[in-house]
Amino acid sequence: MKRSTFFSFVAPSLVSMLLLIALPLVAIVYLSLHQSFTKTELREVKTEVPLFGGLTREVVRTVPQSVLDENGNPVRVWQYVGGENLRNALDIDGLESALNVTATIRWPREFISALYGEISDVAFWSALEFTLLYTFVTTPIILILGFGLALATNRIIKPLRGTVVSVTLLPMIVTPVVSSLAVYWLFIDGGVVTATLEAVGLGKFYFLADPFTIRAVIIAFGVWFAAPFAFIILYAGLQTVPEDPIEAAIIDGATPWQRVRYIVIPYLSPLFAVITLIHVMDSYRVFEPILVFGSSVFANSVQYLTYYTLVFEGNIHKAAAYAVLTVIGVVILLIPIMIRTYKDQKAER
Amino acid sequence: MKLKRLLLASTIALSPVAATAECAVDGTGEVNVISNFFEALEVLANEMESCEGNGVVIDTKLTTDHKEETDKAFEAATSPFDAAAVANSSITLLQAKGQLRPLNDLVEKYRAEYDIEDTMLIRFGDEIAAIAFMVNAQHLFYRKDIFEANGIEVPTTWEELLAVAETLQAAGIEHPYGAAFGNSWELANEYINLLLANGGTLFDPATSDSTFETPEAIAALEKMGELYKLMSPNAMSMDFGDVKRQLQQGDVAMAILWGNEASAMDNPDESTVVDQIGFAKAPAMVAGGAPASTFWWDGYVIPKNLDGDPDLTFQVLMHAMRAETVKANNDVTLWIRSAYEPGRYTTAITDTVVAGAPPYPMNPQAALAHSALGENIADFIVGKESAEESLADATRAYRAAAREQGLLQ
Repeated sequence: MKRSTFFSFVAPSLVSMLLLIALPLVAIVYLSLHQSFTKTELREVKTEVPLFGGLTREVVRTVPQSVLDENGNPVRVWQYVGGENLRNALDIDGLESALNVTATIRWPREFISALYGEISDVAFWSALEFTLLYTFVTTPIILILGFGLALATNRIIKPLRGTVVSVTLLPMIVTPVVSSLAVYWLFIDGGVVTATLEAVGLGKFYFLADPFTIRAVIIAFGVWFAAPFAFIILYAGLQTVPEDPIEAAIIDGATPWQRVRYIVIPYLSPLFAVITLIHVMDSYRVFEPILVFGSSVFANSVQYLTYYTLVFEGNIHKAAAYAVLTVIGVVILLIPIMIRTYKDQKAER
Repeated sequence: MKLKRLLLASTIALSPVAATAECAVDGTGEVNVISNFFEALEVLANEMESCEGNGVVIDTKLTTDHKEETDKAFEAATSPFDAAAVANSSITLLQAKGQLRPLNDLVEKYRAEYDIEDTMLIRFGDEIAAIAFMVNAQHLFYRKDIFEANGIEVPTTWEELLAVAETLQAAGIEHPYGAAFGNSWELANEYINLLLANGGTLFDPATSDSTFETPEAIAALEKMGELYKLMSPNAMSMDFGDVKRQLQQGDVAMAILWGNEASAMDNPDESTVVDQIGFAKAPAMVAGGAPASTFWWDGYVIPKNLDGDPDLTFQVLMHAMRAETVKANNDVTLWIRSAYEPGRYTTAITDTVVAGAPPYPMNPQAALAHSALGENIADFIVGKESAEESLADATRAYRAAAREQGLLQ
C-alpha cells in the first residue's frame, strides 16, 4: 500500500483520537499546572436583605470584594503554579502530619491501625483506599462469576439461551445512576430487602449505617453491574473453543474440571486479560454508587473527589489535578496486565 | 443526591396556575434564564414563557445543577444566560467577583410600571444586585396526633426536643427524629443553623478569616451527634428527599425540613399523614434564644457579561414577578410581595424569622466554608474522630480552598 493511501485511511480515526482523546488530556494537564481566580481585597460592605411584610435586615461586614481594572471589570488572575495543585490534591502536608502519629504505640498492630486512622482522614488517600479496594475485590469476582455464568449458559438447551443471555445483560443496559438508585432504594429503611428481612423475623438491618456493610453493598452493586460484561465476552469466547482437544481429553479420562482448567481457561486467557484491563479502568473510576449512596464518610472514590472539587469547591484546576492522578493511577494498575499480554503475544510469535 | 431529588420531583405532578394579564414587553431579542428546580421557580418560568412572541424568544432552564452552570457562565467572556435565579448563599461569590450588573437604573425606570417594592431589592452598599421574590427557612415538622396521644408539648429548644424524643422512644417509636444528614451540603446547613443559634460564627466580621474552632462550634456539633442517635442508623445516607418521605410515610415523628415543603405533607398522593403534621418554629439552642435556622431569600440577577438586552430581560423578570402571579399562586411559597396572604403552610417560616433566625451568612467564602464543613463534620457524627479534630480538618480544608480561589491571602 502506498504511504499516502495508508494515511488517508487512518486519518479520520487519527484526527478523532487527537481531538477527542489527546487534546482533552493535554488540556487537563495544562489546567492542572495553572490556577485562576478573581483578584479580591477586603472591603466593608453593607448588605440589605428583605424579610417580608415590609421588613428588611441590614448587615455590615468586611468581606472580599473584587479588584476592578480601569474599565470597571474585575481583574482575573491566571498563573502558572507548577505542581502545586497536584501537591494539594495529594494533600502531601496532610499525609506528612498523618505519618507523625502521636498516639502511644506499643505494638506494631496499634501503630498500623493508628496510621490507618490518620491516613483515612486525608481526603485523597481515603478515597484512593476505597477505590483500590473496590477495584481489587470486584475484578476477581466478576471474572469468576462471569466465567461461571458463561459455562452454565453454554450448558443449557439452545432455545433457552437467547432469553438467559438477554436477562443476564440487563444490569449492563441500565444506566449506572439509575441502577445505583434502584439498589439504594432496596436497602434504605423500608426498602424491599430490609422490609423482607424484617418480615421473615430476622430483625432490623441497617445496611447503610456502617462502613463495612455500606462498602459491601457498593461492591456487590459493582459485581452485579460488571459481571454481565465478563459473561458476554467469555460466552462468545466459549463458542470458539475447538471441540477436538476437549474430545481428546475426555478419551484420556480428564474430569470436567480438568477440561476447563487445562483446555478452556488457557484458550480464553487473552479474553480474561481484556476483561481485567477494561474492568480495572472502569472500576478505578467508580462514581455513581458513591454519589447516590451519599456515603463519602464511609466510602469515597477518586472520581467522586474530582466531581466534588469541581462542583463544590468550584476549582477546575485542582479537579484537573485529580483527573491527572486518576489517569496515572489507571496506568500504574494496567502496567502488570500490559506486560503480561505483551509477553504472551511475544511467546505466541 | 441531587439526582434523587430530581427524580422524586419529576414524579410529582406540578400544576402551576397561570396568572392573568398579557405580557407586554418593549424590545425584541432572546432572553435566557437559568434557575434551580422547585415549584415557585417553575411558576415564574411559566410566566416568563408567556412573554414569548412579537420578536421575543424566551428560554428558561430549570436544573438542580444551576449553581455550577451559573458560576461558569458568569465567568466566561459572554454569558449564555441573561439572568439567573440565586439565593443568599450563591449571590455572594458572584457579587464578590464583580460579575453582577447593578440594577439601579432598571429599577428606577420600571418601578412604577411593575410596582417594584423596596423589600424586593437586595443591596450591596448602594448597588441593587438582585430582585428577590420569596423567602424560606427550615423549621420543625411534627406529628400532631402522636404528640397529642402522648401528651407532649411542641419543643422550643433542642434540649426539650431531646426529652420529647426520649418520651417517644419509650412510647415505642424507634427513631423519633429525622434530618438530612446524608447529603454533605444539607448536613453542613443544619450544622450552621445550630452554630449561629449557639452564638457561633463562620467568619470574623472584621478580618473575614474562618472561626470554625470555637467552644460554641464544638457544642453545636456535639448537639448534632446527640441528634444522630435519635435518627435511623441509615441517616448518613439519607438526603432531604428521604427525610421528607420518612415523615410522609410515618417513619419519624419529628423532622427539620424546608418550609416550602409544608404543603406536600397534606398531598394525599404522596403522604400517608395528611392533616396530621404540625409546623412550628425551629427549636432554639438556648432557652429564649433565636431558633436554630437561617432564613433564605431567592431572587434573580443579571450578569455584566450577558449577550442579550438587559432592559428586555429585566422586563421579562418583572412581568413574571408581578403581584398577579403571587395572588394566583399564593400557597406555593412565602412570597415577598405585599400581595401575599400568609397561610397555614408559611406561618412557621414567619414565626422562625420573627423569633430572630439570622439570614444565612452572606460572605463570599460561605459556600467554600459550607462544603469544607459538610465533608468533615460527618467524621465526628459517625464517631470516627472528636469534634475538635473534625473542625480542625474543616478549617484546613476551607483555608486551602479559599486560598486557591484568591479569597484568602
